[in-house]
Amino acid sequence: MLLEWILGFVFLIVKLTIVLIILLTVAAYLVWVERKLLGRIQARYGPNRAGEFGLLQPLADLVKLITKEDTVPQEANKGIFLLAPGVVGLMALLIFAVVPFGSGVTLWGRSIPLVITDLNVGLLFILALSSISVYGIALGGWASNSKYSLLGGIRGAAQMISYEVPMGLSLVPVVMLARSFSLVEITNAQSARPFIFVQPVSFILFLIAALAEIKRIPFDLPEAENELGAGYHTEYSGMRFGLFFLGEYITMIILGSLIAVFFLGGWHGPLLPPIIWFLLKVGIIVFTLIWFRATFPRIRYDQLMNTGWKVLIPIALLNIVVTGALVLGTS
Amino acid sequence: MPKLKIDGLEIEVERGTKVIEAAARLGIIIPRFCFHPGLGPVGACRVCAVKFEEGPVKGVQMSCMTDAQDGMVVSTTDEEAADFRKHVIEWLMMNHPHDCPVCDEGGHCLLQDLTVAGGHGIRRYLGKKRTYNDQYLGVFVQHEMNRCIQCWRCRRFYQEFAGYRDLGALQIAHHTYFGRATDGQLESPFSGNIIDICPTGVYTDKPSRFTGRRWDFERGPSLCIHCSLGCHIITSARYREMTRLEARFSESVNGYFICDRGRYGFYYTNHPERPRRARIRTEEVSLDQAIQTAAQKIIQINQKNGPKAIACLGSARSCVENQAMLIRFCRVQGWNEPTYFETPTMAKKVKRAVARLDEQLAVSMREIEKADFILAVGADPVNEAPMLALAMRQAFRNEATIVVIDPRPVFLPFEFEHLPVAPDDLEPCLTALIKGAVHRSAAEKMGEEALRFYDTAPAEYPDAPIKNRMVKITQKLRQSRYPVIICGTSIVRETTPDVAADSALLLRAARGRAGLFYLMSEANTFGAALLSSEEGSVMDVVESIEKGSVKGLMLVESDPFRSFPDYERLKQAVDKLDLFLVMDYLPSFAARLAHLFFPTQTLFEMETSFVNQEGRVQFATSAYRGGIPISQISAGGHPLRVFRRDIPGGESQPAWQILAKLANIISLPGREMFSLSKNELWSWIAKEYPIFANVPIADELPDDVRVHLAQGREKLFPSGGQIRSGGLSRENSTLELVMGDWTFGTEELSTYSKYLQQVEKEPCLFMSPKDASMLGLKDRERITLPLDKGRLEMELRIVDTMAPGVIVMPKHRQLAWQKIEKWPVKVAMGQIRK
Amino acid sequence: MGTIKNLAEGITALLKGLATTLKILSRKPVTEQYPEYRRPLPARSRAVIVLTRDPDGEERCVACYLCSAVCPVSCISMQSAEREDGRRYPRWFRINFARCIYCGLCEEACPTLAIQLTPNFETSGRDILKLVYEKEDLLVNHGGKNNEYNFYKRAGVAMVGDKGTQINEDKPVDLKSNLP
Ligand code: SF4
Ligand code: SF4
Ligand code: SF4
Ligand code: SF4
Ligand code: FES
Repeated sequence: MLLEWILGFVFLIVKLTIVLIILLTVAAYLVWVERKLLGRIQARYGPNRAGEFGLLQPLADLVKLITKEDTVPQEANKGIFLLAPGVVGLMALLIFAVVPFGSGVTLWGRSIPLVITDLNVGLLFILALSSISVYGIALGGWASNSKYSLLGGIRGAAQMISYEVPMGLSLVPVVMLARSFSLVEITNAQSARPFIFVQPVSFILFLIAALAEIKRIPFDLPEAENELGAGYHTEYSGMRFGLFFLGEYITMIILGSLIAVFFLGGWHGPLLPPIIWFLLKVGIIVFTLIWFRATFPRIRYDQLMNTGWKVLIPIALLNIVVTGALVLGTS
Repeated sequence: MPKLKIDGLEIEVERGTKVIEAAARLGIIIPRFCFHPGLGPVGACRVCAVKFEEGPVKGVQMSCMTDAQDGMVVSTTDEEAADFRKHVIEWLMMNHPHDCPVCDEGGHCLLQDLTVAGGHGIRRYLGKKRTYNDQYLGVFVQHEMNRCIQCWRCRRFYQEFAGYRDLGALQIAHHTYFGRATDGQLESPFSGNIIDICPTGVYTDKPSRFTGRRWDFERGPSLCIHCSLGCHIITSARYREMTRLEARFSESVNGYFICDRGRYGFYYTNHPERPRRARIRTEEVSLDQAIQTAAQKIIQINQKNGPKAIACLGSARSCVENQAMLIRFCRVQGWNEPTYFETPTMAKKVKRAVARLDEQLAVSMREIEKADFILAVGADPVNEAPMLALAMRQAFRNEATIVVIDPRPVFLPFEFEHLPVAPDDLEPCLTALIKGAVHRSAAEKMGEEALRFYDTAPAEYPDAPIKNRMVKITQKLRQSRYPVIICGTSIVRETTPDVAADSALLLRAARGRAGLFYLMSEANTFGAALLSSEEGSVMDVVESIEKGSVKGLMLVESDPFRSFPDYERLKQAVDKLDLFLVMDYLPSFAARLAHLFFPTQTLFEMETSFVNQEGRVQFATSAYRGGIPISQISAGGHPLRVFRRDIPGGESQPAWQILAKLANIISLPGREMFSLSKNELWSWIAKEYPIFANVPIADELPDDVRVHLAQGREKLFPSGGQIRSGGLSRENSTLELVMGDWTFGTEELSTYSKYLQQVEKEPCLFMSPKDASMLGLKDRERITLPLDKGRLEMELRIVDTMAPGVIVMPKHRQLAWQKIEKWPVKVAMGQIRK
Repeated sequence: MGTIKNLAEGITALLKGLATTLKILSRKPVTEQYPEYRRPLPARSRAVIVLTRDPDGEERCVACYLCSAVCPVSCISMQSAEREDGRRYPRWFRINFARCIYCGLCEEACPTLAIQLTPNFETSGRDILKLVYEKEDLLVNHGGKNNEYNFYKRAGVAMVGDKGTQINEDKPVDLKSNLP
């Protein structure tokens, strides 16, 4: 019994480590990919100096970020200022704990699920954590004691709180269809037919709301560089800035994974091994995000708020009612 | 009083005010080239055109030539007037060269400013430009005649205002030329002012040529300390170097101008040999280390020989702060009070003068300009206090009578009556004149003392010709409405300041109004006399050293080796000292001999105050933060390529701060600690000397205030019955040696200026024709003069404008005159040889 | 109806944008690869500054301080002096390229055409002090963009030739003559 427990624990640690390393590496390379893609979309080369094709760029960036001076503005609220990037980075990593990225493998007679932990309220966990990352932004912006940071922080808080509502609502039909909050269950519910075909409205709502939630173009108002310097993280430098940065790219991966899980059927797919299917789906979503960034302009603040409250929420509610009716009707 | 309206603003001005001045009072500065508030209008340039819309004159007129009158409505912005001014500028530029980049006026040039303001940028006139050849005008002034716009300011200043003739207008019409008949050094000691007033770059400041543009300079208001008048100046510094000094307007002191000694005397600040590090003997150490060592030495001597074994010499060129701190230092330590004066006689004279100058008698230079009778006793203005000569000249231009009673060959740039009488005859001459002009009843009204003075004062002149000349002068004085007595303190007798003051009192009683103006030897002599309570002198200190009762000597910005009459004796005394401590900014002889040396800051590096001879406390701000000039550090090349945080050579501190630090180390526990705050020092001064109580010090640059000893505290007419009649005691076989000042070459600080050194005249001995013929000597012969401790060789000049029985010699830097045992010096006639 | 039309239009616009960016993704980049390829720059491009000489081969700069006055970042400093023959020149002249923003205002202000910006922009290095150029580093042996102009020929001060011998000048006024 005890042995069993210890073994489980060791497996967990190993799994955690592997996932963490992969996640961080992927996030780092995602930066490279994004810059490369943006470059090409603008008829440039993108990074191509550090190593072949600029492949060592993430490493160079890392070295740079680590060796840079970690400055704290004189008038900053020091404790909170130092804490904020940690909150952002940590929340991003924690969300990944419930994302299933494969069907599970069997090793030495033990079946190992390819998910860190299969929470039965996984979806709520995700929503909860994404709400907490608002703190990272708002506190970082406020503690810097700089007008740009403050404005960025305020914008971030307002935007994220507003869009959490449609994001949550858009997932209700998914839960209704899968009859579970567990992400593994949700994935499994789509083994025949991904929800994107059943719930296209939900998909679109979720995509938009989640984009706003992770503050990516066209919803990058909190860091709008041409208005606010760099918004809430204007005053950060070195690895602390790196944490904000890392958090952003991890959330991109998470968003890819979640869309894959909620709407694209997770690891399910013909022919190819499940993990490959999963990665492929994530990749497509991430590419789309970058593509959006290269294409769309930033929307105005009033447009942002109007869309959130006056368009997305009503549609999401309507969608729930319709889905509910259909579900009731068919059962 | 006429009331007029300029640009919609109303103003009331005195009759005779020009419209351009009335506008200036409203803050409207009408363009001008030829008008200068110090020189008045001539209407030569036509750029001050304004439109007269209503009133007695109409149309576009010159505002500098038009008296303000009732009912005038003037517009400076009127289109027609503006257009007129624009064209004036354009035609003035017609012949102007294209050389602003190499012109030193560029950046503060009135013509440049107005050309830009008038919008004239492209030359339309296609003809050729008139050119002139330039002249060599000496060490101070660079000449570039092509730039002239014929405003006549230079000539008006040089000839009319200052009274010198060697620079003026030549040629006529389109060819008018401003310069000298031939190349040569300008003769006037006020020549630098033409640089300030020329609205273009015809005359530029030669010593500061190319040092920088106005916008690059650190500039600040300051004071001239090269004589006791304390003219107001503006300093310019750049790259840790004082580069230039200009006149600053002062209503009551110097007006718009200063003299060349003041203008070019500041180079001691940049002197390449100026000591900038503290020294223990010859080894350079940090200032703190030197203070520590000094403290130990002082404690040792104090313990062994008691507190009176260390003497201190301050100086009259030090600021009030330094003088006061030295006194405070000595008092706290229980030492003897510091000494500020060479001889007991000098101390007494100055203290008497300071005591007698009260609020009612004291006059400023501006008031001297208004006097109609000026009587100077024992004063040689051009040489002792140059700007006074200009003030007197303004009085002369207003038809004042000016009389100088002085044995020296006094020159003034205007006509005056000179009574060359021996020093002993100064007082009798003065009292004779006063008695001639003031009726006894006036003295009677003033009381018994006055009457005694009046009755006992001698009334005879030394010889008949003088007596005859005095008849008319006495007449003039009798009719004068505002007589002023100017009294020197250098060559006069001990009692003369009192006699002058008493005479002024009598004159006031008789004429209703009279002024008194003393001259003193150095910038802060007045301050030293006010602050010091003892009448000790350098002579006494030297005696105590010789006796062995004084073992240590501390000099604070003082160099007795320059002025002590017996150089060898002083040197021997200093050699006997256990401790010889010097604080100074000059590379003086004393500084070289010092056992311990501390570098102090000059006036230009600190915020200070000085009291001029009129009792006016004046303030100076620091021009820059000191340090070795970049040009000296990099030997002319580019500045060193290193980063550092401190100022190279910037260790110097105000002497009073060094004193405070020293005091704080040596003070016994429980004694008062000195703070390094200037305000604290000033509150001490105000407490100890109530006369300074209302001196404002908190402001950045406060206005001057006059401090005078309380009226009625001094006994008036103390010299009653004491004035000896002179002449009688004169022995025919000796000549009295009188040592005077020269504009250039005798004043301590300015003798360190390499530019003034170039214009110094070679020292010579003046003798009257009568004495010369008795000795069979001829003009310009080299003679040797016997002094107590050796002979002195120099050129002889025979001049008939000086008193017989007297020989006059400058205390010149180039003259090793310090071979005198004691004053006064009588030279046996037969001893003067070729 | 209008809303639907708007919506449709909006969506097409978004898709069009996406299509455009996607199309460009397949294009070959147009970037020039510096330092492998160095594009020849126009003579008027603004980078490292030089001090030129006039046609006589003399330093043009007369150390008038105008460039240092106009420089918005105050990176020029100099000390003017007088050469033995009376020519005004900079005894030292320093430009701190670590501060210079290559705005070209100095060149515009210069009355003698002495200071000129050149296309040479490759100055980066590891020692910041190397970016502080002294006169020796700045002075070149040619006239830069203009080889003809000679300030002293027009200035009206006696430097190259006496008074009255320069462009557009009359002979000096004869003080001894009474003729008009
Ligand atoms: S030299 Fe100067 S001050 Fe004299 S007339 Fe010419 S411009 Fe005026
Ligand atoms: S008159 Fe005296 S105080 Fe005035 S500038 Fe000349 S030396 Fe200086
Ligand atoms: S280019 Fe601009 S910044 Fe550079 S030195 Fe010239 S004026 Fe200064
Ligand atoms: S503006 Fe031209 S002439 Fe004047 S200092 Fe600068 S480089 Fe020299
Ligand atoms: S200022 Fe009035 S004419 Fe020159």
